[in-house]
Amino acid sequence: MKKIRLSSFGLRGFAGDTLTPRAIIDFASAYATYIQGGKVVVGHDTRYSSPMVYSAMLSGLLNAGCDVIDLGICPTPFIQFAVRHYGAAGGLSASGGHNEAGWNSLILIDSDGGMLDPHSGQNVLDIFHSKDFTKKDWQGMGTITQSDTFKSAYFEAMQSFINVDAIRAAKLTVLADPLGGSGVPYMDAFAQCLGIHLIPINGNATGYLAREAEPRPRSAMQMASIIPHLKGDAGFLFCSDMVRMSLVTENSEPKSEEYTFALLAQHVLSKQKGCVVTNCCTSRMIDDIVAKYDGQLVKSKVGQSYVLTTLADEQGIIGGEGNGSVVIPNWGPSFDGFIMMALIIEAMVENKVTLSQLIDRLPSHYHIAKRNVPCESNLGYRAIEQIGKIWRADGHTTIDQQDGLRIDFEDHWIHVRNSRTENIVRIISEAKDKNTAEKEADKVIRVLENLV
Amino acid sequence: MKEVLKVGVSGVRGIVGESFSPQAATEFAQAFGAMVGRGPVVVGRDTRTTGAMIQKAVIAGLQSVGCQPLLAGVVPTPTVLILTKELQARGGIAITASHNPAQWNALKFIGDNALFLNEMRAEELIQIYHGQDFPLVDESAIPEVVNIEAPMAGHYRAIKDYVDTDTIRSKRFKVAIDCCNGVGAVHSVDFLKNVLNCEVVSVLDQPTGAFEREPEPTPESLSLLCETIKQEKCVIGFAQDPDGDRLALVDENGVPLGEDFTLTLGIQQVLASHEQGPIAVNLSSGKTVDAVTEPTGNQVTRTKIGEINVSETMLAIGAVAGGESNGGLIIPAVHACRDSYVSMAIILEMLAETGKSISALKAAVPEFHIVKDKIKVSSEASLKILRTVRQKYQNEKINLLDGVHVDFGDSWIHARRSNTEPVIRVMAEAPTQEKAEKLAKELRDIVTAE
Repeated sequence: MKKIRLSSFGLRGFAGDTLTPRAIIDFASAYATYIQGGKVVVGHDTRYSSPMVYSAMLSGLLNAGCDVIDLGICPTPFIQFAVRHYGAAGGLSASGGHNEAGWNSLILIDSDGGMLDPHSGQNVLDIFHSKDFTKKDWQGMGTITQSDTFKSAYFEAMQSFINVDAIRAAKLTVLADPLGGSGVPYMDAFAQCLGIHLIPINGNATGYLAREAEPRPRSAMQMASIIPHLKGDAGFLFCSDMVRMSLVTENSEPKSEEYTFALLAQHVLSKQKGCVVTNCCTSRMIDDIVAKYDGQLVKSKVGQSYVLTTLADEQGIIGGEGNGSVVIPNWGPSFDGFIMMALIIEAMVENKVTLSQLIDRLPSHYHIAKRNVPCESNLGYRAIEQIGKIWRADGHTTIDQQDGLRIDFEDHWIHVRNSRTENIVRIISEAKDKNTAEKEADKVIRVLENLV
Repeated sequence: MKEVLKVGVSGVRGIVGESFSPQAATEFAQAFGAMVGRGPVVVGRDTRTTGAMIQKAVIAGLQSVGCQPLLAGVVPTPTVLILTKELQARGGIAITASHNPAQWNALKFIGDNALFLNEMRAEELIQIYHGQDFPLVDESAIPEVVNIEAPMAGHYRAIKDYVDTDTIRSKRFKVAIDCCNGVGAVHSVDFLKNVLNCEVVSVLDQPTGAFEREPEPTPESLSLLCETIKQEKCVIGFAQDPDGDRLALVDENGVPLGEDFTLTLGIQQVLASHEQGPIAVNLSSGKTVDAVTEPTGNQVTRTKIGEINVSETMLAIGAVAGGESNGGLIIPAVHACRDSYVSMAIILEMLAETGKSISALKAAVPEFHIVKDKIKVSSEASLKILRTVRQKYQNEKINLLDGVHVDFGDSWIHARRSNTEPVIRVMAEAPTQEKAEKLAKELRDIVTAE
């Protein structure tokens, strides 16, 4: 089966394979047809295939009469901010994000700056399949305008959103690794905005991925090895388009990406009571934090647009996923690595603690095992169905089926789900101790490997 | 009939919003990249409002198969060919529908020999396109886009190497130019002022792509230029088509010379002042070419219709000048393609060296009259009709390169199927209007009788 994922979240394809200019033009045309023209904000990351994807995407938008605001190399959350800044009808981001080299995608952005909701995304997909696109004649062609006025607006907004005075006074040194991605051109402005000393790692814009694209402990080795020598107070790793983030402590300890949301939930709830939204396979740390602060926790299906939709439904104050992405509606409906980084720094400074001390303050700690089994996506659904049968035969009566399958025990839980963005089945197992978490994951993997 | 995408020897063209889509443009670019192989490909375009959109699709298509787009921006079509040679590119793509109206756009493909694709190579391209199996490259092999600095420099240098620009510069001619809101609106005033030191009055000089006159520089469409010449007292007027390959002339009294005189006078000047050698023109080119060539003892060869056919013949026989009677003068020493810029220079050189007015130069050429017509005929019927025409004139001097061309010495007729419309084009030329009309009627009667 070819490497392509078309869903209500957008188009994902593999360069040299499914990521054809034709598919991209069709997809951009479908999006333009759905939003019925108007102003569209666009940007791309630094993957080698991004300029090609971007050109194809622009031709589709122009042909449908959209007036394009071209931000060039730009992180997805900035494009989302810019959609609101320019009062646009929507936006598109061409970015490889957290996917490995070769992949790229078109991400659909709504007029409110959030991800297009799943229902609207489905409409775009239906138009894509129908191939019945809006096309304009020579007098109706769209236009391209370059603009960067959003940039100063963004950092001004950040200045008033974050406790900048406290941060400036603390004179911190932080390490940030944007993976040579679209965050690179904005690191200096961020450091200036907060008055911190920021040392970039992989800080030249390039399509070459110097480490795994997903920010997580095993991609944090470079940073962990140098942070003490540079006297860094905290280390931040990002994916190519600044949507996901994981942490490295001042003591060289790479933390699971689950800690990003946990720390930010703790920080936000310590100031304000309210509803928290997460997906159904995020660490129980969140459950414990929400309980500690007497908040309300609502769980959604896996994926940014599900979290965003549920947040809006529940009027939540923070949402996030265990992959290191967090959204704070007061800031905007985007999973924004820059604001995530700023808020972690703010939490350290306001509490006058180091990053490792901040982590120690969490009410609970778990070991989480995240494993993948490569699997053609169509086979994945069947395999998961089989797992459900096996579990039921074993006497598990309460299987959560919100998204994939999850069973909860007193001291651990396990979740199996077919990925929407990659050809893998994801297994997440969490327990108080490492041994149980790994053992339970292995059990499921053995069953799965027999099935696929 | 609804307009469909036209795919043929001269490229792929259609109406944007109807038949020409970015999807088609990107896949033709992929097919072209597959044909020429990985490496640099020059991309240039005219001022059409759809050009930027089509260019984006072309860029993505080229990149996806590992070709590096070298962007020339808005430049004349001949410049794209010249850049392909200068930069030793794998090929070039000119995004222009040439003389078609503003709603059209097209891709014209240039091979690594810096000429348009000939019939055989065009067929190869179309087969690759139909095969739909394009050799996509891995992510890390996708090349970056490069913008060409000073894209006109090499073109102007080639003109200066050939034409005596010093003499032109010393005359400080006052000239008028009608840029047809095309590529000329970006480059021609600069060229005439700075390369040829002319005083320039320009009309339709905004590069909007919304052509304010018929895009073909025929005499009927040049009234604004003619008026301007009279008011401003210019020594000559130039009219370009939207992509700057064809040129028409208007005399100092504001009277259009007819597009065929660009070819005739250009050839005359090359033979008078540059070099001796054979001349090649297409079958529809008039007798004035023979009239100016014969006294020099050089031969005129007639070729199949289509610019690439003229270019290839010229290179094969070592022609020193030639082209098409639609205002498409070709001087191979500059480049073997139609070029309104070298045309302007060579005509101004003629004015400078002879000291004569443009109307006097025209008057010195023996007079011929051309009658043109087209007759609606279905595609199937046209073949039979042409066979009848051939039989009718079998005892005359017949040339069957493209339709039926009959040469009567001081006059000729030509009947051929159009490549672009379901019509038979009929032409006749003779020393008097009366005789031309008579010949044309004879031919028309044969066609309509069938």
